[in-house]
Amino acid sequence: MALLEAIGIGKTYPGGVVANDGVNLVIEPGEVHAVVGENGAGKSTLMKILFGIEQPNAGTLLLDNRQVHFSKPREAIDAGIGMVFQHFSLVPSFSVYENVVLGSEPRAGIRLDRQKAIAEVQALSDKFRLKVDPLPPVGSLPVGQQQRVEILKALYRNARILILDEPTAVLAPQEVQELFVAIRSLVAQGKTVIFIAHKLPEVLEISNSITVMRQGKTVGQVKTKEVTEKSLAAMMVGREVSLRVERKPTEQTERVASVSGLRIVNARGTEVVAGLDLNVYAGEIVGLVGVEGNGQAETLEAIAGLRQVAAGDIVVANQNANPLSVLQRRGLGLASIPEDRIAEGLSTGSTVAENLVATRLNDSRYVRGGLLDLKAIKANAQKLIERFSIRVGGPGSAVGTLSGGNMQKVVVARELSEQPKLLLVNQPTRGVDLGATQFIWRTITDARDKGAAVLLSSADLSELLALSDRLLVLYRGKIVAAFLNTPDLTPETLGTYMLGLSTQTADEMQAALK
Amino acid sequence: MSNIPAIDRNSRWKTIRREVGRAVGALAIALLVTFIVVLLTSKAPLEAITQLLTAPASKPRTIGLWLDDVAKLTITGLAFSLVFQARQFAMGVQGQVYIGALAASYVALSPLGASWAGIPLGITAAMLAGAIYGFLPGIAKAKLGANEIVSSLMLNYIAIEVCNFLVRTSLPKPQPGVLTTNDFPDSAVFPQLIKFDGLNVTRLDLGLVFALIAVLVVWFALYRTSWGLKLRLVGHNARFAEYSGIKATFIMVSAMTASGALGGLLGSMFVQGQGYGKLTVLFEGGLAFEGILVAIVARSRPLAVPIVALFYGYLRQGAQLMNIRTDVPAEVIGVVTAIIILLVSSSFSLNFITRLFKRSPAPAAAPATVGGAAK
Repeated sequence: MALLEAIGIGKTYPGGVVANDGVNLVIEPGEVHAVVGENGAGKSTLMKILFGIEQPNAGTLLLDNRQVHFSKPREAIDAGIGMVFQHFSLVPSFSVYENVVLGSEPRAGIRLDRQKAIAEVQALSDKFRLKVDPLPPVGSLPVGQQQRVEILKALYRNARILILDEPTAVLAPQEVQELFVAIRSLVAQGKTVIFIAHKLPEVLEISNSITVMRQGKTVGQVKTKEVTEKSLAAMMVGREVSLRVERKPTEQTERVASVSGLRIVNARGTEVVAGLDLNVYAGEIVGLVGVEGNGQAETLEAIAGLRQVAAGDIVVANQNANPLSVLQRRGLGLASIPEDRIAEGLSTGSTVAENLVATRLNDSRYVRGGLLDLKAIKANAQKLIERFSIRVGGPGSAVGTLSGGNMQKVVVARELSEQPKLLLVNQPTRGVDLGATQFIWRTITDARDKGAAVLLSSADLSELLALSDRLLVLYRGKIVAAFLNTPDLTPETLGTYMLGLSTQTADEMQAALK
Repeated sequence: MSNIPAIDRNSRWKTIRREVGRAVGALAIALLVTFIVVLLTSKAPLEAITQLLTAPASKPRTIGLWLDDVAKLTITGLAFSLVFQARQFAMGVQGQVYIGALAASYVALSPLGASWAGIPLGITAAMLAGAIYGFLPGIAKAKLGANEIVSSLMLNYIAIEVCNFLVRTSLPKPQPGVLTTNDFPDSAVFPQLIKFDGLNVTRLDLGLVFALIAVLVVWFALYRTSWGLKLRLVGHNARFAEYSGIKATFIMVSAMTASGALGGLLGSMFVQGQGYGKLTVLFEGGLAFEGILVAIVARSRPLAVPIVALFYGYLRQGAQLMNIRTDVPAEVIGVVTAIIILLVSSSFSLNFITRLFKRSPAPAAAPATVGGAAK
């Protein structure tokens, strides 16, 4: 009998992003259940629904075969569900035991009963083999121990079901082993663990059953002992016949952009791009393949001038782009379709017309002597609305009122209203319906056919295979494989390199690196 | 294709209707709260409420007081609108008013004040001083990451105390011990706009003209210049602005500086206006901060600011007259103002009332609706 069951869960975010679409999940008591899938597959949304942070638009949740509805995390906690997020919610200056009991403190009169709190935390940590000293402030502990504090927090609130959101992403290999010891001891003592991950070897090691998600849907649920890494990877990335978009033969001899020795360190001090070299030629689409978070997005941001580079050179149109501002790079013919249209690609509170000229506020066609030429701005918007068949009331409508696909069309229309020399594209069709997807693909390939050099990153392998001339696989900020896009190249082949299971030699890559 | 502009205009009308409805709702709630408070505190509540509702429009003199308030509320409302549109929560208008007033006073009390240059130079000096005072929290945020709310509030205290100190000590005054400076020469005081049959009673002066000009200038700057478009884009989504190549920090600092200039102008309107014609301590009486309320109700739209100021100014003047003429204590007015600010600033939208009605018939659907409304 299932302990926790989700049936037909659907969740659409405002803005039209479909995160979950008929998702099913069956959790048996006392198991470690892994939920795997690429980023953007909808795992996190599903977990947020289970924990009451998000409310589903469709579907039901059953706990102990009774229908439940969590409108906030407190209700999920009371029902015995605990969640540990990727980003911890701890008070760094508070001690371990204070963090654990915070919100449900044992009291002596009106005072916090410190001795009792310490004893209880110590007992919990012994019982579940989550070794951590209750006294030091949490901020002084390494990440692995902070994670244990988070798990203790959930256990202290009598969680029966523990959801761990990508717990191994922040851990060193030895810490991962210690975490697994703790998970086994939790399960041995009757707890149930839901474990989100995309590192397959770890999933196979720790879980009893696995649910695979792709593009907001559940692909299937399997017993761990019945699958291999390969078969799991195939389920994850999907093996449906990829749509290929027709592309004209182009002369790919003029080098438009090159990146050499690129290193990027993120705000947390981790090296996300570690010595990357690549060239893009006019008239070709180069696909950056990789599980999200392996440096694709950062590379594109660095080329666009939105991210500080630790080392390396970026050359755009034969000019050293390193010292150039965003606007100067755009002046060289760079256009970019960012990953997240709402967070970065649009101003949803502004009108369509304003969004369509936002990158051209130094262009004398729209701004003269600091004054806006409203007529020209409106005409530009009307022209682009028609050319890109954006469904919208008019140039004066707020972008926030459009559907996801139409919002993305606004971004694409702005970036491709003029033929770019170098086009950077990240997740061009995420959360976009099929019709708009086809249109956007067509637009990108048209730009290529007319001689643009395109650098494309996508979580959707079929998209990469449909559009790219060459494919570069990134793993931990390095290129580990390079392919010319031939009809016999399969997602499975790419998958083994994406997951770091194998690496090409320099000679093997040579042909496709140019 | 031909019907598209019509739809566009339709949706604009819808927005305007919704926003007006919202503002009227705020006003109605404010009046309701006032009535309740007056009922609880006054022995003759009917008389008090009549005073509140009719007194400002009863005589030319009170109309003058009311419109003078409106002019000042408009300027501070514009100053706040400008920084709010750039999504900067600078609270420095009050400080800018004091610094601007100080600058205007130095000009007015200098030999220049007695010449034709007294008014233009006083205003320029005030706006310049205010702009510098608005620039400080902006540059501190851009270069040092200082929170603009904290730094602008602290600068307010500094400005008030510096103004107090100078009035007490070095500025020329009629006799030792008084907390005002000498009266400014007539050439440095804004002329009255209207004189009633030679009766020198209305306070209405050149400030009203400046307020109306300021409305047009701010509207033009925000909606007709590229600076304004950049400012609004930064306010809507700073990451997008950065991605588009807009220098968000420059926009932020310049918005705070421009807002400071308006604050400075208000300072000069106070001390060079018919109301004072001299510098005194604490002359501004908390009016500068009420610009927050005006800006919020006007949704930071410059053209809506004077309209909101008109209504709010009436209520404000009515409350003051009610305080003078009836037994309702002055403190009550403060309470009522605070409640209005609370209501309006808690993103007041009457949503909570519609939500109450929606929730009761279909409890199962309620969470989804709430989630949608809250997004």
